[in-house]
Amino acid sequence: MTAEPRLRSARSAPVQPGPDPDLGLVRSPAFWIVLALLLAGAVRMCLITARFAEAYPRALLTATALFALLAVPFWFVVSELDFLEREPPALLVLAFAWGGLVATTVSIPGSAALDDIIAKLGSPHLAADWGAALAGPTVEEIAKTLGVVAVVLIARAQVNSVLDGVVYGAMVGLGFQIVEDIVYAMGAVALAGRGDAVEPVVTTFLLRGFLSGVWSHTLFGALAGAGIGYLVVRGDRNLRTRMGVAMLAVLGAWASHVLWNSPLLRDGLGNGALALLAVLVFKGLPPLLLIWLLVRAAHDREADYYTTQLATLDDPELVTPAELEALKFGSRRASARRHARVRAGIRARAAVRRLQRAQARLAVEISRGTPDLTRWCHEVRRQRRTLTKLGHPEAVVPEGRGPWRRTASTVFSTALAIAVLWAAISTLGGG
Amino acid sequence: MGMGRVTGRQRTNLLGAISLVAALGAIAFGLPALNQMLPSDRPVPTDRPYEIGGGVSVVPPAGARIDVTETRPAASSGTVLFRLGPVRYLVSVQPFDGTLQTAVARLRQRITGTAGYQVTGTELTVATAGGLDGIQGGYSGPGRGGRYAVFVADGHTIEVTVSGADLDLGRTLPAIDASTRTLRYAPEQAG
Repeated sequence: MTAEPRLRSARSAPVQPGPDPDLGLVRSPAFWIVLALLLAGAVRMCLITARFAEAYPRALLTATALFALLAVPFWFVVSELDFLEREPPALLVLAFAWGGLVATTVSIPGSAALDDIIAKLGSPHLAADWGAALAGPTVEEIAKTLGVVAVVLIARAQVNSVLDGVVYGAMVGLGFQIVEDIVYAMGAVALAGRGDAVEPVVTTFLLRGFLSGVWSHTLFGALAGAGIGYLVVRGDRNLRTRMGVAMLAVLGAWASHVLWNSPLLRDGLGNGALALLAVLVFKGLPPLLLIWLLVRAAHDREADYYTTQLATLDDPELVTPAELEALKFGSRRASARRHARVRAGIRARAAVRRLQRAQARLAVEISRGTPDLTRWCHEVRRQRRTLTKLGHPEAVVPEGRGPWRRTASTVFSTALAIAVLWAAISTLGGG
Repeated sequence: MGMGRVTGRQRTNLLGAISLVAALGAIAFGLPALNQMLPSDRPVPTDRPYEIGGGVSVVPPAGARIDVTETRPAASSGTVLFRLGPVRYLVSVQPFDGTLQTAVARLRQRITGTAGYQVTGTELTVATAGGLDGIQGGYSGPGRGGRYAVFVADGHTIEVTVSGADLDLGRTLPAIDASTRTLRYAPEQAG
């Protein structure tokens, strides 16, 4: 007898789709407590901002505008991570707000106190060398992880896969990163002692926003969030195992943060391009790759689950076998959209995106056991008709064109962007 | 669910939320409280130079203790805070590529940027035994007076700020001035 192969999702990352969130959330005590915490955080951050606004209004406005703009692509990428089962925008906003208002508010006094404790129990030298590497990550990773716990307490049903934990964790990290960057920029303005100057803000934006931004809090938050996701979703495992994995993930986030903040490679290589390259390659890249692989695995496992749900329909008008293959990977979904644009124009590209979204939504409804799927089937058919009219009836990936071109293009663009940024920073004197 | 009835799920949820608040409280208030319980000052030898960072050293004034919470020595920069009773004597070394006048203007702006603080009197030139030339001035704030001095040495600015109540300052300034004159920049000490 041949055992039926189990889905990857069932083996290591089961998906437990929940219903859409409704007003029932307000009946949960956690909702009101978290709301109060957010309000308290907002008041505290407003007080800090008011001080900056009084002393450096132009610099504050510039910093807020620049980092808000930076948040847009990050938000888009994070919210797109879970293309198949998108998180409710209200919860994404909550996660972002936790990072920006609550986690920052508690981290400011907490990190400063821990840094002092390191100096008191160790020495000022130890605090100068390792204070930022130990105090910041310890306090901040805990404060951010609590944001994912807050989401679970408010809307447990919305954390139904490891990938959901990744998305909420990354969103908490993004909120933290943006607010922290603004505070750092204003600190740089104050330290420069040139009054309401914009140059320190621009330098901080380039250094912290771009060069450090990719492997910053968003990434660490994603890793810790994956652990909380696992803890919540893997009900089939005993509590000790789930807690162990969750703690390992938070520890991984902490270790990545420690490595990034550590003085390793900082001394001895100087402040030139070589030092920057060494820091990026040895301190930033390993955690980035680790977390990228983890996110990809979590995504693929979730995609396995949802495409299997769609396959049960056995209706090529709703989804064809080739479309199922395309839906499984983000890169293939993007290829299918690009292929549609090349063959039938920009409207076909948009239509393919809508079709993929409608198919994903249908898959979620099937997995929820929704008895009447008419509404969601109708939406898929509507998008199919649009595509047929545009002369591109199937959202497929073109054959014979691997992803190497995209990879090469991405590597080249990234290298070019880093070179341009490095030149800009050197010109500004921030290098 | 009837109004006013608390379900088991809500109770668990409340417990979870309270734990969340407790964890945040431990970070925001517990760590600072623990920090407050530990002493922050330590004795420091006043008969030999103290390495501040960035190749700069100073001989601490007699009777000074070092505050480890605001003392951070590093290779290219550094800060040390000495306390003489209630008087703060802070020396900060930072990389800097401007002139002495620019450095002084920068420090003045930071002082006057604090609500209630203003620069008083005229500025004087000062020199250290090690050959550093600088500018010195005074400032006042709510219930406090202060003195500042700025030196520039080979890509570094050395900022000295002294603050305390007028009576305490009058008592300790001679020793602090003597200490400031021992500021020395020796680049081989950096790193």
